[in-house]
Amino acid sequence: MNIYVINGPNINLLGTREPEIYGKETLESISKKCIEIASKDGHDVTFMQSNYEGEIVDWIQNAITKKVDAIVINAAAYTHTSIAIHDALKSYSGYKVELHISNPHLRETFRHISYISSAVDTIVAGLGTDGYSHVIELLVRFPVLQNKAK
Amino acid sequence: MNSNKILILNGPGLADLSNCNEIGHDNLTLDIVQEKCSETCKILGLEMDFRQKDDEAELLRVLIDDIDSFDAFIINPVGHSHSSSINQDMYSSAINKISGQNKPVIEVHIENIFRQGKKNHKPLQALGSSVGFVSGLGMYSYVLAINAVNKQLNNN
Repeated sequence: MNIYVINGPNINLLGTREPEIYGKETLESISKKCIEIASKDGHDVTFMQSNYEGEIVDWIQNAITKKVDAIVINAAAYTHTSIAIHDALKSYSGYKVELHISNPHLRETFRHISYISSAVDTIVAGLGTDGYSHVIELLVRFPVLQNKAK
Repeated sequence: MNSNKILILNGPGLADLSNCNEIGHDNLTLDIVQEKCSETCKILGLEMDFRQKDDEAELLRVLIDDIDSFDAFIINPVGHSHSSSINQDMYSSAINKISGQNKPVIEVHIENIFRQGKKNHKPLQALGSSVGFVSGLGMYSYVLAINAVNKQLNNN
């Protein structure tokens, strides 16, 4: 199974950016953990991060071309603004998870609307940076989810 | 060491899942969900209490009365945390209390509640609280939530 983990703007600052909300773990350490979990059972996880909306759209299109099995996307602030990412996700038929470190619904009202949620299968939020490894573990451990993924 | 106790609370209507077309199981019932939860908790060494209430007042009563008896909470409020402003207030205050005691609480939904046609389903509102959210993994929403609570309990 191939999984893309796509991260949006400011996620590269994890570990130092508002640690009271986002925790002290860096993206590098999260990615290392996830790759380790997946590779135990022979699965591939690729971590990406961009501050640019268009690059994120390109990666989703790339996942379509390469027939990647699942996308886990933390679109960060673009969650609340990007119809382009919504449209790209709609065109991707593999398994899709929207992921957030904090729970956007318990924060400022401008974070209550997500353009991503209606385009994905699953939403996971508010589990801290551990959310990444919980999602990867579930995707690789339960064949039933892989069957859904094309 | 005593094992941690978690309460899994299911809201109105969840006794019948025949309208749920979700991944993971063709004919999902709440019994199957309960069995999966119990199996997951057993592996992790967690004690589990799994309940379902059709009466919203009763459900909130359970939540408020039993806060001190459990170490973590997983709640599927269906759409009812927003069915009235009174419910919304009671949910918020219960969640705030749990969160204030630094106990993990995660809201779960079997289906993706943001898909079209699910207008009445909104996430729990409890500003300032820390609440996890898992929606759209079928019965695996519960499995993920149990794993996440367990991790949080071990970190605390």
